Amino acid sequence: MSFWLTVIRQVGRNLRQTWGSQLMTLLTVSLSVLIFAFFYLIYSNMLNLGDKLGDDLSLIVYLEDEPGPELQQQLTNKIRTFDEVESIRFVTRAEAYDRFAVQLGENSDVLNDMPKDFLPPSIEVIPMKNLRSLNQVKLFSSYLARLPGTLKVQYGQDWVERFYYFTRLLSIIVLLSGTLLILTTIFMVAYTIRLTILGRQAELELLRLVGATNNYIRTPFLLEGVLQGLLGSSFGIVSLYLLFQWIKLRFSGPGFLNLFEFAFFSPWVSLTIISISILLCTVGSFTTMQKFLRI
Amino acid sequence: MIELIKVSKAYSPDVIALQNISVSIDSGEMFFIIGMSGAGKTTLLKLLCSMELPSNGLIEIGGHPINQLKGHKLAKLRQKIGVAYQDFKLLTDRTTAENIAISMEVSYKKPQIIRKRVRDLLEQLGLSDKHDTITGELSRGEQQRVTLARAIANSPTMILVDEPTGNLDAVTTERVMKLLKKCNKAGATIVIATHDDSIYRHTTHRVMELRKGSIHSLSGGLSL
Repeated sequence: MSFWLTVIRQVGRNLRQTWGSQLMTLLTVSLSVLIFAFFYLIYSNMLNLGDKLGDDLSLIVYLEDEPGPELQQQLTNKIRTFDEVESIRFVTRAEAYDRFAVQLGENSDVLNDMPKDFLPPSIEVIPMKNLRSLNQVKLFSSYLARLPGTLKVQYGQDWVERFYYFTRLLSIIVLLSGTLLILTTIFMVAYTIRLTILGRQAELELLRLVGATNNYIRTPFLLEGVLQGLLGSSFGIVSLYLLFQWIKLRFSGPGFLNLFEFAFFSPWVSLTIISISILLCTVGSFTTMQKFLRI
Repeated sequence: MIELIKVSKAYSPDVIALQNISVSIDSGEMFFIIGMSGAGKTTLLKLLCSMELPSNGLIEIGGHPINQLKGHKLAKLRQKIGVAYQDFKLLTDRTTAENIAISMEVSYKKPQIIRKRVRDLLEQLGLSDKHDTITGELSRGEQQRVTLARAIANSPTMILVDEPTGNLDAVTTERVMKLLKKCNKAGATIVIATHDDSIYRHTTHRVMELRKGSIHSLSGGLSL
């Protein structure tokens, strides 16, 4: 009989004999992968959203008076002194009024009694794409606020800060759920393999005595770990995919989820999560064997 | 060839199971170890199959000191040694056929060869009808024969048998001894530890008597 056929038979026998604990481990691994992947999915989508919003990031510098051509050149030079920017655009009071009227649409008649110069002039600064971190944006904003004739600088501070802290929180949750995944997969698999080993002490002793090699005895346990990782993580990822599709279906239409493209993992990311789970389960299985399966 | 040179075995705290055992057993020889309970027969067999290590002395099988063998080499040696243990060491939740097959599975014999060998052995030992019986449901005598069948199934070059007839009637004892003699004729070295004088009384083979862990007599071969 070939080595692998014998090993597969042994694995089948192990699974039959300890199906209860094997099932519990499988569910635990699945659940851990599901929890981790769920948060990681939200996190990666938030990062994508952050990138997308970052593309549209602009700082608006409101000025006391409309700058003349010379002052415009001076301000442009001062802005470029801080960092390279993608574009700088001066908006006059009249342009600001027109824009506002367009934004009001059908309600633009509310402006009828207002003077055309009631809005302040401004400078729209679109930073370079590499200016992404909140601190950098804050620094740039305070630099712009110190420019002569500046009333205030706006870039949606509150919103940007909340978004930044939300993604920070998500990254911590992803780290925690990742740690949970590592601990549960390694320890649960190790515990199950340990139970199997203890339950089969008599058989393992006999196998040693009739001349079974280390590989003959150990490979089935390793394969069990690999199977737990493969099935558990695949089940977790498939469950998340179904959950994702369900949420998409249920919450389709106008709403928060439609503000941005909410995407599932690429096959590559899914495969990476499955591979890492397999690796962790194999490590759990291996460490238990080293400890309890002395040959 | 098996060589034991000044072999001793002690268990903590101060139990001396074997003391200064020196004996050579030729390849293809049938060798009896006799003695009362506690004389050291089982310990000697355990040392020969490297289930335990000697406290002192040297044990060589085919020129290789077995207490230095590890891993793959030790496994390969064990595949060539068939042991019928006094406590049977059967997997009582498996069938008779599965128990016998286990010694052949570890050396990756083909399933059809294993099936045929199992049926042949069961027939020779009068257990044909127990092929699919769980060994936990067999009588002591039947379990003993299954143990023997497992020991010789893989056609080992050395067969160690501990009290092979302890639970058997005269007819079955005859059957078991016939099978062991057949293996011996096929070239296997057989070492039998027993206190049943009916199986060695009229033997032409060497008989070594142990008393309190030491060799008391060795008849039919080298003088002490």
